[in-house]
Amino acid sequence: MSFTLRSVKVPPNSVNLEEARSRMFEFFRLACRSIPSIIDIYNLDEVVTKSQLRTTIAAQIRKNSQVTNPKVIDMLLFKGMEELNNILEHAKQRHHMIGQYVTGQHGLVQDLDSKDKGMSDFLKNFYKTNYF
Amino acid sequence: MGLGLLASRAIRPFNSSSGSRFLLRTIVSKPELQSPESSAAAADASPEPDLPPRTPVGGARVHFTNPEDAIEVFVDGYPVKIPKGMTVLQACEVAGVDIPRFCYHSRLSIAGNCRMCLVEVEKSPKPVASCAMPALPGMKIKTDTPVAKKAREGVMEFLLMNHPLDCPICDQGGECDLQDQSMAFGSDRGRFTEMKRSVVDKNLGPLVKTVMTRCIQCTRCVRFASEVAGVQDLGILGRGSGEEIGTYVEKLMTSELSGNVIDICPVGALTSKPFAFKARNWELKGTETIDVTDAVGSNIRIDSRGPEVMRILPRLNEDINEEWISDKTRFCYDGLKRQRLNDPMIRGADGRFKVVSWRDALAIVAEVAHQVKPEVIVGIAGKLSDAESMMALKDFLNRMGSNNVWCEGTGTQPNADLRSGYIMNTSISGLEKADVFLLVGTQPRVEAAMVNARINKTVRANNAKVGYIGPVTDFNYDCQHLGTGPNTLMEIAEGHHPFFSAISNAKNPVIIVGAGVFEREDKDAIFSVVETIAKKGNVVRPDWNGLNVLLLNAAQAAALDLGLVPESSNSIESAKFVYLMGADDVNLDKLPDDAFIVYQGHHGDRGVYRANVILPASAFSEKEGTYENTEGCAQQTLPAVPTVGDARDDWKTIRALSEVAGVRLPYDTLGGIRSRMRTVAPNLLQVDEREPATFGHSLKPEVAQKLNPAPFKSAVENFYMTDAITRASKIMAQCSASLLKK
Ligand code: SF4
Ligand code: FES
Repeated sequence: MSFTLRSVKVPPNSVNLEEARSRMFEFFRLACRSIPSIIDIYNLDEVVTKSQLRTTIAAQIRKNSQVTNPKVIDMLLFKGMEELNNILEHAKQRHHMIGQYVTGQHGLVQDLDSKDKGMSDFLKNFYKTNYF
Repeated sequence: MGLGLLASRAIRPFNSSSGSRFLLRTIVSKPELQSPESSAAAADASPEPDLPPRTPVGGARVHFTNPEDAIEVFVDGYPVKIPKGMTVLQACEVAGVDIPRFCYHSRLSIAGNCRMCLVEVEKSPKPVASCAMPALPGMKIKTDTPVAKKAREGVMEFLLMNHPLDCPICDQGGECDLQDQSMAFGSDRGRFTEMKRSVVDKNLGPLVKTVMTRCIQCTRCVRFASEVAGVQDLGILGRGSGEEIGTYVEKLMTSELSGNVIDICPVGALTSKPFAFKARNWELKGTETIDVTDAVGSNIRIDSRGPEVMRILPRLNEDINEEWISDKTRFCYDGLKRQRLNDPMIRGADGRFKVVSWRDALAIVAEVAHQVKPEVIVGIAGKLSDAESMMALKDFLNRMGSNNVWCEGTGTQPNADLRSGYIMNTSISGLEKADVFLLVGTQPRVEAAMVNARINKTVRANNAKVGYIGPVTDFNYDCQHLGTGPNTLMEIAEGHHPFFSAISNAKNPVIIVGAGVFEREDKDAIFSVVETIAKKGNVVRPDWNGLNVLLLNAAQAAALDLGLVPESSNSIESAKFVYLMGADDVNLDKLPDDAFIVYQGHHGDRGVYRANVILPASAFSEKEGTYENTEGCAQQTLPAVPTVGDARDDWKTIRALSEVAGVRLPYDTLGGIRSRMRTVAPNLLQVDEREPATFGHSLKPEVAQKLNPAPFKSAVENFYMTDAITRASKIMAQCSASLLKK
């Protein structure tokens, strides 16, 4: 099976932070452009909107915003590229997508309350599990 | 049969080939054993090697009561000092040599019938059975000579002659003495071609499975039953190869300690029926913890596989349970898998429980708790609660403004001020020094089987006299029924009763008052009469405190130490908000109908029937907690298996609830809660150490209560089902059905 995204190949290393940065934006745009087909492939339109998915992608990228080593960025970029490719190849299933990108780690039921703000760590852990 | 066949073979004329092969086979397997005497002489000729000092087997220690009594013997050339009267086997143990054995057991009388422990003693013509031979001064014992080895090999061969080769399907496999010792000392080939004998299996009840063909007639079980358990149920029938172990007539083994024969049987003849074919012992994970089904706090090992408790075994603790445990302790574990509460639940308008999230459950409980007046909030700790959660419960309720918190079974007005008034002051092992027992309103056989085993041991060892006041019951030692009610107690106190002279003439008299008395209205009066007896009979002296209380539940001692005492005795009648922390046996009949009940616990037992909210908790096998036993020794449980479902540890639930209710408790960890406990009852942190009471009974104020002549009631109706875990257990239900029927 051929790659859906022709552009996926191992690029030369970025020489400096600038180049890595611009590649990152390139990747983000690429990912955003594939969102409609992702929604199409996995039938996600009933659970998520395009902009929500865009936010999720942005959040994933922002998680690594503190990284300044171009080599590390290249590596992260490569991993992101691979993931995106897997998604577009339909190498995943719908529940993977929902679990990883729609509901996130918190589960479907967002049992959040306005009172939770002042909650101690003990109580937060208590609601999660008996073992902490 | 085996021997006879062998003999008839020997005299039968052999037909050519097979016969000559039979004759040519050597008698022993190893060349040096073929002529043990000559190689022994060769060994003698060589100079004695310089032996490094050895460590005694299993940490065996010698205690010299009198230094003159020490004698010196030589074990394999290594000199050891031992007290007079020790056997050769014990001397070898002190010298660090483990002698193989089957029938010898250090806590039972010596039978000397298996012959596995043969050793060579210099100048004796034959090898001697070391377990039955007293060591004499200067004896030269050789445990490693060809003669001893050949003797063991021979004994092993005889034992295996009639032992089935069913190790692959035997539950003892992997922890079998016969298996181990035949690997170590047995021959490497068999010469036995005849049929093995077989024996009919006996039915010993729902707990002990028998495969009597495997029995090697060591008689350990017979001696255990008559000496430790005090029942004459087991015996040996027949002679020679027809010898069988059994109950003489078709009868079950009716002892509360019967499970221990499983441990002492060196082979797989007696195994656990509930555990049969469930697991192999090498796949199990052992966790050393504490039993909570009675107030003794027996030391146990929980063997688990994955999330499941597979079996419970005793752990050695000389001060508490020696190496025995009661059947309830051993077999209650299947109750841990049944009837468990696994999700927080709220009772809906239709009276059915609905599963909710912890968040919602706690929010509702906190809301209701704030709607009622502080005086009508009541908290009751259950009989299986650990000290940590009782501390948290008390702190939580106090912060809510209520002080009506107690532990079930301690009655309405417990005396928690003087520690000597509710613990066993003599200590369990101290009971062995006693020579007269007066049991008041207690039946130790069902209330605390291990304490009863101690009394039985004492009665057997120094002919102690036992008298009891209470309903007529079946004790497994000689005892005297003095009366049924407090009137008899009064007579003894006034000195009219003949038993009074027995007490006053005794060297170390012991009075044991059952915790069932706590539930009586006139308990203060009873205690003051008992104290009068103690004073007149010289039961409490500076060097001996013989006035004991035998508690019923694992939580009681710690609850009283922590001061879980209700403020008013009729708080149940006016309660609007009741927090039951695993309390199933409190009488809630008088509770107003509109009261809101929160049940926090691990089993859907009696407490759930009226509950409005259920908070699931972890059982003793799943949490770390401190328990204090009836003699005042704090011990800790360790988690053996994970909790069931969405359950939480008791103290964590209360800590979380306190935060939701806006009265946050200041501890987040077990360490934090323990340092809080240190300020209330520091003895609960002295784990595995018995903390005696500091003040005597003399500090008590005078009581002006009237004695009620109503007879004492038995505190435990059914030995096998006393708490939520045992009531959920199928095995315990079978036991009560088959063993308690009259
Ligand atoms: S049943 Fe077990 S303990 Fe009893 S005599 Fe046989 S081998 Fe010994
Ligand atoms: S252990 Fe000595 S004869 Fe059995």
